[in-house]
Amino acid sequence: MADEQRVLERERSAVDEAWRGLDENARLPAAAPPKTVPAEPLVPVPGQQIRAVGQRATRPDSRYHGLGQTRYIDDLALPGMLHAKIKRAGIASARIKRIDTSAAESMPGVMAVVIGREFPVNSFGPTFQDQPVLADEVVRHAGDGVAAVAAVTEQIATAALEKIVVDYEPLPAVFDPLDAMREDAPKVHPPKGNICHSLAIRRGDVAKGFAQSDHIFEGRFTSQMVEHVSIEPHAAIAAWDANGRLTVWATIGRITLARADLARTLRLPMNRIRLIGTIVGGNFGGKNEISQEPALALLSKKAGRPVKGVFTRGEEFIASTVRHPFIMDYKTGVTKDGRILARTARLVLDGGAYCSWSETTLGKCCVLAPGPYKIDNVRSEAIVVYTNKTVAGAMRGFGAPQVCFAYESHMDDIATALGIDPLAIRLRNAFEEGSPSPTGQVLQSVVVKETLLKAAERFGWEVRS
Amino acid sequence: MIDVTIIVNGETRRASVPPETTLLALLRDHFGLTGAKVGCDVGDCGACTVIVDDRPVNACLMLAGQADRRRVLTIEGVATKDKLHPLQKAFEERGALQCGFCGPGIILSAKALLDQNPEPSRHEIRDALAGNLCRCTGYAKLVDAVSDAARAIRSEQLHD
Repeated sequence: MADEQRVLERERSAVDEAWRGLDENARLPAAAPPKTVPAEPLVPVPGQQIRAVGQRATRPDSRYHGLGQTRYIDDLALPGMLHAKIKRAGIASARIKRIDTSAAESMPGVMAVVIGREFPVNSFGPTFQDQPVLADEVVRHAGDGVAAVAAVTEQIATAALEKIVVDYEPLPAVFDPLDAMREDAPKVHPPKGNICHSLAIRRGDVAKGFAQSDHIFEGRFTSQMVEHVSIEPHAAIAAWDANGRLTVWATIGRITLARADLARTLRLPMNRIRLIGTIVGGNFGGKNEISQEPALALLSKKAGRPVKGVFTRGEEFIASTVRHPFIMDYKTGVTKDGRILARTARLVLDGGAYCSWSETTLGKCCVLAPGPYKIDNVRSEAIVVYTNKTVAGAMRGFGAPQVCFAYESHMDDIATALGIDPLAIRLRNAFEEGSPSPTGQVLQSVVVKETLLKAAERFGWEVRS
Repeated sequence: MIDVTIIVNGETRRASVPPETTLLALLRDHFGLTGAKVGCDVGDCGACTVIVDDRPVNACLMLAGQADRRRVLTIEGVATKDKLHPLQKAFEERGALQCGFCGPGIILSAKALLDQNPEPSRHEIRDALAGNLCRCTGYAKLVDAVSDAARAIRSEQLHD
């Protein structure tokens, strides 16, 4: 047994060595590029896969991370490369009356300026293409870009933004999603109403379930806006070749989708665009779609030079996407002993100014809203609302953490009110093997109760004070 | 323009730069040492941490002129030609580097600590890394890795 273990370990370390092509203590010269790179791609080998479970593993790329040799976009430079900056509206809702870029264009060192009207198709988005690359007629949130500048240095580009004059006619704005749902609310995308998308899931008969219940509990739970704050800001480089082909290096997780979106905005066949997804310095959902890339491409085309754009930390907060703030109203009917007979959940998602990944988030949170519990009568409704705020998009879990916070808080409230142990009420209602989900999917490999019991044992639930 | 002379990773280097140039811009744009990262450019995230005369510094907040005639250590100078620094090895083994963007800064903050205090408590490690933000790994693995490295360095010194 011990020998077998040793053999396995030896094999494993031999594989590790082969992956890296580097001796344990081998080191590359500090500044020179590596001579030996991991030669073998990480192809799963039968047998090894089984041993991977429960094993400790190291990331082959972490050696370069630790040596400072990993090249993120901002570490790359092309000859003649320009630096781009985007002028942000700074006003939540307004009509653009005039944009004057002439003073910026005549600044020494400024090589190109673009505004929204210059894009062949000035809209993009993973679900609905409702977001302009640069706002041309209407500003819908303060982080909307209105013009972009490419200059020989970042400082000149930043200074040039100050020289761009934009005349705004302020329009009424709406910031609260519940206010935005009123008939008389200012419309973010007129003539369309502010409801971006909605979804409802129904199973059983909630009215009957509530009628049979001994107690009914209601609660409202809210969650706030969250920014991903990847330590690496959004960054991209765009460059055209002499044959009219565009190459974009971008910190984007979904490069095929990004290429399609980019091709659409530039009205360019997709085979003319090479999109290179480089190593990403943190994504968490915030780098799943294009943002400044079409603007960089157009600047590069106008200037005839490669253009790099890197968001400032401030832009990360106002001009990249955030996690949806939720307003969640729960109503649950239970028997005396804490069995759930019916539950309704009504979720209002603050989607911000554009759709982005709202529809995806909506679907997921709607299915998950009732929680991992056997409930025969369920109604789950979710609505995404446009507001004049930072765009909400994808972020780790697509709405799952928000509803989890709500239904578990709600369960605690019910347990406390009924005088039942919070663990016991969960065990009484938790999904089991073969339980149907709210959409009727028969669930398999369900270990909710086992997990709860094991966790309770591990952290000493019984002896808590 | 001002002239600066800096000993970077043991090598004397000179540059003539505009006076508002930060040490970070000098290292990245003039010397090609891109290991120090631009995360926030306002001294909040620590991704640009380098060691100046034995002390960890946010290179985005120090002007190149302020670093004149000083010794600067960047991540590129931490390993020797044939050996990883124990911190780099420990970070790799503990899985403390995911996207890796904060890594160089954190390794240098930790190195400045271990150079002064070879046997730090977990609390002292956390304190030394307080100026470095990480969004992927959580901080537990980072603290574990620094502890491992401290132990490795002490045992290396015992055997020397």
